Amino acid sequence: MDGALLEILPSIILEGLLVGSVYAMIALGYTMVYGVLGLINFAHSEVFMIGAVTGVEVFRYLSPHIENPFTLLVVAIVTAGFVSGATAVTIERLAYRPLRRRGYTNRLVPLITAIGISFFLQDLVRLIEGLWHGEFYMNYPSHAELEHTLVLPLDMTLQVKGLITIVVTLLMLAGLWFLVKRTRLGKAIRAVAQDATTASLMGVNPDSIIARTFFIGGFLGGVAGVLFGVLYTQVNPFCGFIPGIKAFTAAVLGGIGSIPGAMIGGVILGQLETLGGFYLPFFTNGAVGTEYKDVFGFVILVLLLLCRPQGIFGKAQKDKV
Amino acid sequence: MSLVIRDITKRFGGLVAVDGVNLEVQRGEIFSVIGPNGAGKTSLFNVLTGVYRPDCGTITWEGRRISRLAPESIARRGVARTFQNIRLFGAMTVFENVLVAQHSHASYSYLDAMFRTRRFHRQEHRIARKVMDLLDYFGFAEKAEELARNLPYGDQRRLEIARALALEPRLLLLDEPAAGMNPKETDVLRDFIRTIRDDFSLTILLIEHHMNMVMSLSDRVAVLDYGRKIAEGQPAEIRRNPAVIEAYLGASAIGAVTTDA
Repeated sequence: MDGALLEILPSIILEGLLVGSVYAMIALGYTMVYGVLGLINFAHSEVFMIGAVTGVEVFRYLSPHIENPFTLLVVAIVTAGFVSGATAVTIERLAYRPLRRRGYTNRLVPLITAIGISFFLQDLVRLIEGLWHGEFYMNYPSHAELEHTLVLPLDMTLQVKGLITIVVTLLMLAGLWFLVKRTRLGKAIRAVAQDATTASLMGVNPDSIIARTFFIGGFLGGVAGVLFGVLYTQVNPFCGFIPGIKAFTAAVLGGIGSIPGAMIGGVILGQLETLGGFYLPFFTNGAVGTEYKDVFGFVILVLLLLCRPQGIFGKAQKDKV
Repeated sequence: MSLVIRDITKRFGGLVAVDGVNLEVQRGEIFSVIGPNGAGKTSLFNVLTGVYRPDCGTITWEGRRISRLAPESIARRGVARTFQNIRLFGAMTVFENVLVAQHSHASYSYLDAMFRTRRFHRQEHRIARKVMDLLDYFGFAEKAEELARNLPYGDQRRLEIARALALEPRLLLLDEPAAGMNPKETDVLRDFIRTIRDDFSLTILLIEHHMNMVMSLSDRVAVLDYGRKIAEGQPAEIRRNPAVIEAYLGASAIGAVTTDA
C-alpha cells in the first residue's frame, strides 16, 4: 500500500466510527424490542426518520430564537427523542398490543404489520410536510460552529458535529447500560425478555415494560435521526429505509437481542462500509468504485454470519422445554 | 375461608382441563392437590394465578374476587408460585431474581428514581436488605452474585421458592417442589415447607406426586382426575378412598396403596 493511503487510514477509521455510532443507536431499538417481544419492528426505521424530520423542524422554527447552535442541537436532540419515543409507543399500543392480545401464533403477522406501518408513516410524514411547507425534501441548516474542523493527532480531522455525534452516542450508550443493568426498570426489562409469563407472576406488568422498552428504543432512534441529519444534512420521509436496514443488519451481526451486540455490530458495519468505500477503488484500479461500499460491507457480513449465524454476542438457540 | 374456588372450568378446544372444580382452603393450611398426570392440577394453578382465564367459575382470595385479574395483579395481592419446570431468570443473578419479585413492593416513582431522591434511596436500601435477609434464610448469601442457571438443580428449586417469597405472599402455590429429588432430599424439603409456612405465616397449596410427602405434610388433600375433583379429605381418608386408588392404579390394585403409604 502506498504511503498516502496508509496515512489517511486513521481518518477513515474515525469516519467509520461516526457512521457506525449512528447505526449502533438505531440498532439498539431493533434489538431491545426483539429482546422483549421476539419481534422485528421494521417500523423502527420510520421512528428514526421521524426523529430526523423533527430535528429539521426544531432547527427551522427555533433558529430565530436560539442563537447558539449547540443549544439548538441539544433542544433538537431532546425533542426528537421524545417525539420518536412517543411514536414508537403509539405504534406498540395501536398495532402490536392488539395483535398480542389476540394471541397470534404466526410470527409473520406482526412482521407484515410492521412493514405496513412503515409505509403508512412514510406517507404520513410526506403528507404533513407537503401540506405544511409545500415540499418534503428538507435540509439541516449549516452552522459554521458545527462545521468547524478540528485537527487531531495522526493528521485526523473531525468536524465539531462529528465530535458531538461521538460524545452523544457514548453518553446514550452509557445511560442505557446503567438503566438496563442497575435500575428497577432495567431488571424488569431483562426479566420480561427472558420469560414474560414468569415475570408477570412475580408482579411485573409486561405490557407496561414493553411500552417503556419501545419508548427507550424510539428515543435512541430519534436522537440518531437528528445526528444523522446534522452529519449528512439531507432528510426526507424515505431517508429511514437504508439506515434502518443497515442498523437491523448490525443488530443481527452483533446477535439480535443483545445490547452490546447492537453497539459492536453498528461500529463494525460502519467500519466495513467506510473502509470498503475508500479503498476499493484503489485496490481494483478503479474497476470497483466507492458506490460498491454497501456491497462490500454486506458481503463481509454474509461471510461472518455463515461462520457464526447467531451473531457475535448471540447465543445459539435452544428449544424451550 | 381464605381461598374459595367455585365451579372453575377451563377448556382447551375440546379438552376440558379443569371441570367444575370447587375447593375451599383455610388460612394457614397446607392443602395438597394430587392426581394422575394430565389430571388438570397445573392448569388449576395457572387459572389461580391468572395465566389462564377460566371459562367459568370464580375464585375469591381473602374475600376479594381474583379470577380474571392479570397475573401481576394477583401476584401483588399476595399469591406467589413456583413451577413444575424450573422457570428462573437464568441469565440474572440469584440476587436479581429475588429482587425482581421484591421490587413489586417499591412505591417510589420514576421521578424519584431519576433524581435519586431520599425516598428512592431509603426504599432501595430497605428492598436490598430484605432480599439479603431472604437469601440468608435460604443459605444463598454466598451465591448472591452467581447466575441462576449455574446453580445446582436442588438450589434452583429452592431459589424459586425464595423468589416467590420475595413477593411477600400470604398464599404460596408449590408445583411439584420435590420433582427429581431422592427420598432423603424429599424429607428435608417436607420439613422446610412446614418451617416456611410457620415463619412466613403462609397458606400453602401443593401439587406433588411423592405420596409419602403429601400424606405426612398435608392438612387436607383433594384429588383430581380428568379435570374433576373425585375426592377431598384428610390424608387418612384419601388413602382409603377406593375412587382415588382406582384413578391412580386401576381397579385391580385396590389394597396395594393402603400398605404402601
